[in-house]
Amino acid sequence: MSAETTEANCSKTRNPFTGVEADAVSVRVDGLSKKFGDLAVLRNISFDVKPGEIFVIMGPSGSGKSVLLRHIAGLEAPTSGTVAVDGLDPTLEETRDRVRLALVFQEGALFNSLSVYDNLALYPREHRSGNEMAISERVMHALKILSVEKSANQFPSELSGGMKKRVSIARALVMEPQLLLYDEPTSELDPVMGATISEIIATLKNEYSVTSIVVTHDRDLALTISNRVGILMAGKLISLGTPGELRKSQEPRIVDFLNPKIDIEHPRFKQLETPENP
Amino acid sequence: MKQINAVLEGAGSMVMLLLRAGSYAGSLPRQWARFVEQCYLIGYTTLPIVTILSFFIGTVLALEAGYSMEGFGAKEFIGSLVGLSMARELGPMMTSVLLAGRVGSAITAELASMKVYHEVDALTTMNIPPAKILVLPRLAAVLVMMPVLIVFANIVGWFGGSVVARYVSSVGISSESYFAALRHYTKFKDVMNGMAKAEVFGFVVVLVCCNIGLNTRGGPREIGAAVTRAVVTSLILILILDYFVTKLLM
Amino acid sequence: MNSTQQTARVGLFFLLGIALVWVTFETLSDGKIFEPRSHTLIAGFDDLRQLKTGDEVRLAGVRVGSVQKTRLAGRHAEAVLEIDPKVPIAGDATATIAMSGLIGGNYVAIDMGTPGAPALADGAEIKTLTTPDLNTLMSDIGGLGKQLQESLGTFSAAINGDPKTGGGIIQKLEKILADNTARLNATMTNLQEITDKINRGDGTLGKLVNDPKLHDELLATVDEIKATATQAKEFVANAQSVMDQVKSGQGALGTLVYDPKAAADIKASIADLRSVSDKLAKGEGTLGKLINDDGLYDSAQVTIKKVDRTLDGLNDSGPITAVGIVANALF
Ligand SMILES: Nc1ncnc2c1ncn2[C@@H]1O[C@H](COP(=O)(O)OP(=O)(O)O)[C@@H](O)[C@H]1O
Ligand SMILES: [Mg+2]
Repeated sequence: MSAETTEANCSKTRNPFTGVEADAVSVRVDGLSKKFGDLAVLRNISFDVKPGEIFVIMGPSGSGKSVLLRHIAGLEAPTSGTVAVDGLDPTLEETRDRVRLALVFQEGALFNSLSVYDNLALYPREHRSGNEMAISERVMHALKILSVEKSANQFPSELSGGMKKRVSIARALVMEPQLLLYDEPTSELDPVMGATISEIIATLKNEYSVTSIVVTHDRDLALTISNRVGILMAGKLISLGTPGELRKSQEPRIVDFLNPKIDIEHPRFKQLETPENP
Repeated sequence: MKQINAVLEGAGSMVMLLLRAGSYAGSLPRQWARFVEQCYLIGYTTLPIVTILSFFIGTVLALEAGYSMEGFGAKEFIGSLVGLSMARELGPMMTSVLLAGRVGSAITAELASMKVYHEVDALTTMNIPPAKILVLPRLAAVLVMMPVLIVFANIVGWFGGSVVARYVSSVGISSESYFAALRHYTKFKDVMNGMAKAEVFGFVVVLVCCNIGLNTRGGPREIGAAVTRAVVTSLILILILDYFVTKLLM
Repeated sequence: MNSTQQTARVGLFFLLGIALVWVTFETLSDGKIFEPRSHTLIAGFDDLRQLKTGDEVRLAGVRVGSVQKTRLAGRHAEAVLEIDPKVPIAGDATATIAMSGLIGGNYVAIDMGTPGAPALADGAEIKTLTTPDLNTLMSDIGGLGKQLQESLGTFSAAINGDPKTGGGIIQKLEKILADNTARLNATMTNLQEITDKINRGDGTLGKLVNDPKLHDELLATVDEIKATATQAKEFVANAQSVMDQVKSGQGALGTLVYDPKAAADIKASIADLRSVSDKLAKGEGTLGKLINDDGLYDSAQVTIKKVDRTLDGLNDSGPITAVGIVANALF
């Protein structure tokens, strides 16, 4: 057995609602490549996420971050290479039976035909965890954490983008996940709410040992609460290290990405200048 | 070659979906609310259009029969013609066509949009199989509602025929002789036959529409394309199956 | 709408559906759902033929009800007629099974009866009359055709049996004719009577032909024609020597018998008659329609008028030409 497995046995995921403990979950991505037709979206990506770790993935849009998360969640099958969640193939139903995994989708992916409350209650109801009273308590608790309890009886179409994102995170929390995947959780939120999300992620890690993989553009989130950061560009993992290592990095692409400077002399801004009228 | 492949793929995924949905059949009692909701959508809300259409099918049948049978003095047989064609063929067929247009398209649109907006993916990550909560209640509901729709369609169609038979002067036979002929030649077996057909058609329509909806790929534009494909496929399958089911039930 | 309301509607809808399935089942398996309130009469027949449930009942051609049921009652069959209670049926009205079309369209025809007769009560038996059906009619006509053929054979024997007769003694022939005027007149009278009957006949031609009384009379007529023909033959034989002297005939009968053109006409007429009788013997086709079709009945009447006219002019052209004309007019 590998070192990760041993480590996984040491740390336990504690259910934030029931307090029941379970093994923390590791993720291993090995030589993962994905092609959509002729388009190579991911190219030979390898990394490990240790149990109870917060792993942040950063990168420009279109670099393949979402596709990578979908592979870990088992929603896409690799063209080549492997993805293992707790040592199992995430595309199989058995894996999902064993490992509680939640994905916060970039666009929320709330069930449009269900009210906010029912969106959250669907999972516990379907998996018969507790009676309706207990479920209600859990749902309302999760909504309160994200400050959206007043929207419980609204429908997703009646919510703003930021509220949808929060409901979506609340829905993930209700699932009591061992592995939580976030796809740009703070992108549509105000700075205060963004900080709240960072707090939630940190709390889940510190108190409940939930393994988290966060795709984000939020530099603060990436550099403060994460254990390790990977930078993805054009489908390649160009850097992998702790926030301290990343800050010290001299690699120009990383420096550019982390400290964007508006170079007004750059040719692309020239194009925006209004042509002089003849 | 590509088309043949697409057809085979469609058929294969349909069978897979059916098997998957079937494997969750035991969960149906716990999905009672969803089942009732689907019954409401498939049965109750479809009834008005089914009755209107059946009424006019009955009237047209009687009118055409009256016109063509008058030539050899067989107007008394209008009742039997309307009775049999409604029960054995037009009732099940037209109800299924309506089902494809009204319910099937809605199913595909709903499931395709759920797919496109990642709701289906969300279900998958929640370990709630879409076949279980999206497909199974619909299949069960169509099986329960189809006979009810058919019996309404038949009775309204027969009644429509009798109205024409009685009140259109060029046909002009009494309701009694219309219904006597209908009763004389239409057996309950024929009605059952029609219902069996309708069950097959309705089931296939719902299965095809679910399958096409769940296999939608791409953006919102694909939702419309998926609906069109689902309705066209349903109609073609109804017509093809009609021949074989009729043959089988003879 | 809340979900309990939805459940209630679905439940109601489903139960209604089940109820309708049951109603359909009961109805199509001989239930009594559609039975209207009306007044019934029982009509007994030896044979109901094609009559079935749902067929119309017409009073003087107007629809007044339908056949509710057909059943056996002892040695005969009964049709239960549902009649509009607003229409009284006279106690002495008669019901017959009539055909409204060539394929199967039977109905029960009821006549008006006598004006003052009391109306039949609900459930009463109505008098019936059995009319011949198509099959009997056809076989009768076949028989008649055979008889016609026989008698026509006799005719042609009478006419062709004396090929070598000569001309010259028209007077004697005329005398012979004069001697037999009475008999010929009797025959003509009989024929006239028959055609009068045909003209008077208010039923279809088929009925007319099959009416046993008329049929007998017709047979009698044919017998008389046969007798006349036999006598004519005798006369011709007797007059053989006289005929030898006649080289070329003048006058009505002379022209008829000896003129080559006239002889050809006769041959043609006889050929016509043969085809008539052949068709009759087959008893199919046009005649079938004639018997069943009111329109054809009308044209038959016209034909009968032609026959009348022909018979009126019989003194000039002779009976055989007349038959030829009849045949041509008919077919
Ligand atoms: N289902 C798909 N089919 C084809 N191409 C896709 C699909 N999903 C994503 N892509 C492509 O993969 C690339 C990466 O997409 P994505 O992972 O969503 O980017 P991001 O890093 O902004 O999340 C994009 O070029 C996108 O067009
Ligand atoms: Mg993305």
